[in-house]
Amino acid sequence: MKHFKLKTGLAAAFVASTALVGQPASAQDSDTLVIARTLAVNSLDPSRAFCDTCQFYLTAVYETLVTLAPDNQSLVPNLAESWEVNDDFTEFTFKLKDATFADGSPVEASDVAWTFNRLKNVQASPSFLMEGLVSAEAVDAKTIKFTVEAPNSEFLNKVSAPYTGIINAEAAMAAGATDTAEDNAESWFLSNSAGSGPFTLESFSPDAELRLAKNDAYWGEAPGFNEVVVTEIKDAVSQAQALETGQVDIAMQIDPDTANSIRSPEIVTEVIPSYNFTYVGFIPAVDEVLTKEVRQALALAIDYEGMIDFTVGGNGVKQAAPIPNGFPGTADLTPRSQDVEKAKQMLADAGVSDLKMVAGYPNDNAYGVDFNIMMQKVQQDFSNVGVELELKPLTWAVWRDELGSGEWPVTAIYYAPDYYGSGQYVAYFSMIEGYPWAGRAGRDKPELVVNPKEAELYAKALAASGEEADAVYAELGQEMMDDAIIIPLVSPNLVLAYRDDIEGVRYSACCNLPLSEITRK
Amino acid sequence: MADISAPVAAPARRSGGFRRTFRKLPVTAIIGAAILLFWIFTVLTVQFWPMAEPLDMVGRRLQPPSAEHWLGTDALGRDVFSRTMHGAVWSIPIAILVVACAVAIGSLLGAISGFFGGWTDGIIMRLVDVTVAFPPILLAMAVAAMLGPGLTNASIAMVIVWWPIYARLMRAQVLEVKEREHVEAAIAGGASPLRVLRVHVLPLCWTPTLINATMDFGQVVLLAASLSFIGLGAKPPSPEWGSMISEGATRFYDWWIAFGPGMAILTVVLATSFLGDGLRDLFDRRSQ
Repeated sequence: MKHFKLKTGLAAAFVASTALVGQPASAQDSDTLVIARTLAVNSLDPSRAFCDTCQFYLTAVYETLVTLAPDNQSLVPNLAESWEVNDDFTEFTFKLKDATFADGSPVEASDVAWTFNRLKNVQASPSFLMEGLVSAEAVDAKTIKFTVEAPNSEFLNKVSAPYTGIINAEAAMAAGATDTAEDNAESWFLSNSAGSGPFTLESFSPDAELRLAKNDAYWGEAPGFNEVVVTEIKDAVSQAQALETGQVDIAMQIDPDTANSIRSPEIVTEVIPSYNFTYVGFIPAVDEVLTKEVRQALALAIDYEGMIDFTVGGNGVKQAAPIPNGFPGTADLTPRSQDVEKAKQMLADAGVSDLKMVAGYPNDNAYGVDFNIMMQKVQQDFSNVGVELELKPLTWAVWRDELGSGEWPVTAIYYAPDYYGSGQYVAYFSMIEGYPWAGRAGRDKPELVVNPKEAELYAKALAASGEEADAVYAELGQEMMDDAIIIPLVSPNLVLAYRDDIEGVRYSACCNLPLSEITRK
Repeated sequence: MADISAPVAAPARRSGGFRRTFRKLPVTAIIGAAILLFWIFTVLTVQFWPMAEPLDMVGRRLQPPSAEHWLGTDALGRDVFSRTMHGAVWSIPIAILVVACAVAIGSLLGAISGFFGGWTDGIIMRLVDVTVAFPPILLAMAVAAMLGPGLTNASIAMVIVWWPIYARLMRAQVLEVKEREHVEAAIAGGASPLRVLRVHVLPLCWTPTLINATMDFGQVVLLAASLSFIGLGAKPPSPEWGSMISEGATRFYDWWIAFGPGMAILTVVLATSFLGDGLRDLFDRRSQ
C-alpha cells in the first residue's frame, strides 16, 4: 500500500513539474527557434529597458516608426510610411501606415505621442534619447508631429532605437501605465506585452528564459517561427556546445577563439566587424594627478595591436575616438599607436613618477573580451612606463554601484550602439558639462575635465546634416581623443554562429538580431 | 607537590622513537608526506628555478604544451607551468597560516569551553553551532564579499569558517581527559586550574587535532582556490591556482590552462588525505 502511494505521489509530482515547466525547448523543432545567450535583462518595459537582449526583444515585439536597413546606415519605413523634416531640424512629421496592435486595435498617432511622452517622462535608462523633446502631438489619427527645442539632425535616427517602439496606449493604460513620472507599470511589462510587432511576450523568467509567441494578428508578413525561446547559457564554450549538440539554433555570444574550435560541419560561423567596443576610462576626480597630459601619456603606453591579439586573438580592430568605426565622422580619425618613449617623456615632463593607481572594473566578458585578460594587458603596458596599476575586478552590480563614487581612478567597460548616428556617443562620452561621462570623470570638480569646445561643436553637428555634419563629428571625435578620458581599446569582431538550417541571421546596429527575418530552410 | 601530579599517561608509543613511528606509517601516508614536502620545497626555492617569470609574456598566446612550455601558454602568453609552480607560493603558505590560526583559536576556545564548563561553555558552543550551521563555502563567500576581494580577506574568511571544528574537537578531548585520575590528583594537589589545563590536560588532547589539521590542509587549499575561482580571492595577475582555473574554465578547449593548477590542487588534497589517514591509523586507538 505504502509503495503504491509513493508511486502515485511521484507520478503526480512529475505531472505537476511538467505542467509547471512546460515543453522543454529543443532546436530542430521546425516552428520553434532557440537562441542561447546571457539574458541580463534589466526590464522589458520599452521605456525602461536598456540591455542587449532588450534590443532584439523590443524589436520583435514593439515596432518603431522607422528602422535601419540591412546596410546599417539608411533608414527605412516601419510603422511610418513617410516623414518630413523642416529645414532647421526642429520639427519632424510622420505619416503612419494602417498597422494594428496584437489585440487588433489600430496603431494611431495618439499611441505614438503617449509612447514618446512616457519614454521621456519616466526618467529611466533610455530616457536620454528623448532629451530636448518639446512635444509629441497627434495632428490627426495617422499623423504625428514631434518638436525638439534645438536643431537635431539625429532625431530621425533616434526614432529607430528599439526603446522607441510604439506601445498600445489603451492596453497599457488599462493595466495602470501612465505617460508621466508617476508610472509604475514596469512589472506589468514583465509578463505582458502591448506592441504591434510580429511576436508577443509569452513568458519571462529572469536569468533563465525568455519566450516569445507569434503574433497571429500581425499586420505585416508573418515571421518564420511560431515561437522563439531565448535560453540563458552563460559562457561561450557552453553556448558552442549547445549549438553543436543541436540544443539551440543560434548562439549569440561566441568569441572568435571559441568559434575557431567548433568542428561540426553543421554550424555556420561568420566573423563580421561590429560597432561594439571596450574602453578604459580615467576618472581624474579620484586622482588629480591624471591631468590631460598624464592621460595622453598613459594612452600612448598601451600596446593596441597586442591588445587585439591578446583579447580576441586578432579578431578585432583599433578604434580612434569613442565613436565606432563606420559611424559619421570616423573616417578621417587615426587610431593611437603605442609610443613608450614618448609616454615616458610626457610623464617625466609632467613631473609624475612612481604613479600607483587602482583600476575597478566588472569581472565580465563582453563581446568576447575577457576583462581580466584585457586589464592585465593594460597593467603590463602601464608598468613599461613606470606606472603601477592594481586591478580590482568587481561584480557588475558592485561596479555599477561604485561608478561615480568609487575610489578607483581607472575603470573599463564596453558600449554598443542603439541606433546609427554619432550623436549618441557625444551625448554619452563627451566632456560637456552635465553629460554622463563628464559627470563620472569630473564628479564635483567639472573644471578638471570639461571641454567647452565640444558643446559648441555638438550643437553645430546637430544643426547640420550629411557631409557637413560628418566633418563636425570628425572634429568632435578628435576633441574627445585629445581629452583622453575614454581610451577605446578594441572593437571586437562579432561572431554569428548558427546551425546550417537557419537563414536570415544578421547583425543590426540598432536592433542586434532582427528575429522576424530568421527562417528555417 | 607538582611532581606527584606529573602526567602518568603519556602515550607509550612515543618511547618507540621517531624511526619506529615512521616505519609504522602506511605507504600511502609516506607518499602523501613526500608530495607535501615537494610542494614546501617548491615554495621555498621556486624563485631560483631556471624558468620563465610567472608574470612575463614569454610566448605566443594559447600555445599547447611543448618542450619549451611544458604546460603551454595562457591567454596572455604566460608560461602555465611556471605559473602553476609559483602558485604554490600563494596557496601553501596561506593554507598553513589558515590552519594554524584556526587550530590556535579553535583549540584555545575549545579547551576553555571544555575545562571550565558552565556559561563560558554555553556561549562558546552556541557560537560554534551558529558558525557550523552555515555551509562553509557560503559563509566564506559572505565574509570575503563583505571584507572585499583579496587573499588576506579570503584567509580571514577561512579562519572564521574553520575554527569551530577545532573548538569542538578540543572540547571533546578535554572533557574526556579532565575525568582521568591524574587530573583529579593534580587538582587535589592544589595546582591552579590553568596549570592543570596546561600541564595535565592539553598534552593528551592534541592527537585528533593534529590528524584533523593535516586532513584539513588540503580542504583549505581547495576552499582558497574556490574563493579565487569566483573572484573573491587572489586578484589578477597573481598566479593563484583558483584564479588560473577560472581563466581556463572560459577557454575549455585550451585544456592546458586549467590542467596545471588543477593537478596541483589534486596532488595537495590527495597528499593531505593520505597523510592524515596514515596519522590516524597510527595514533587513534579506536580506528585500530
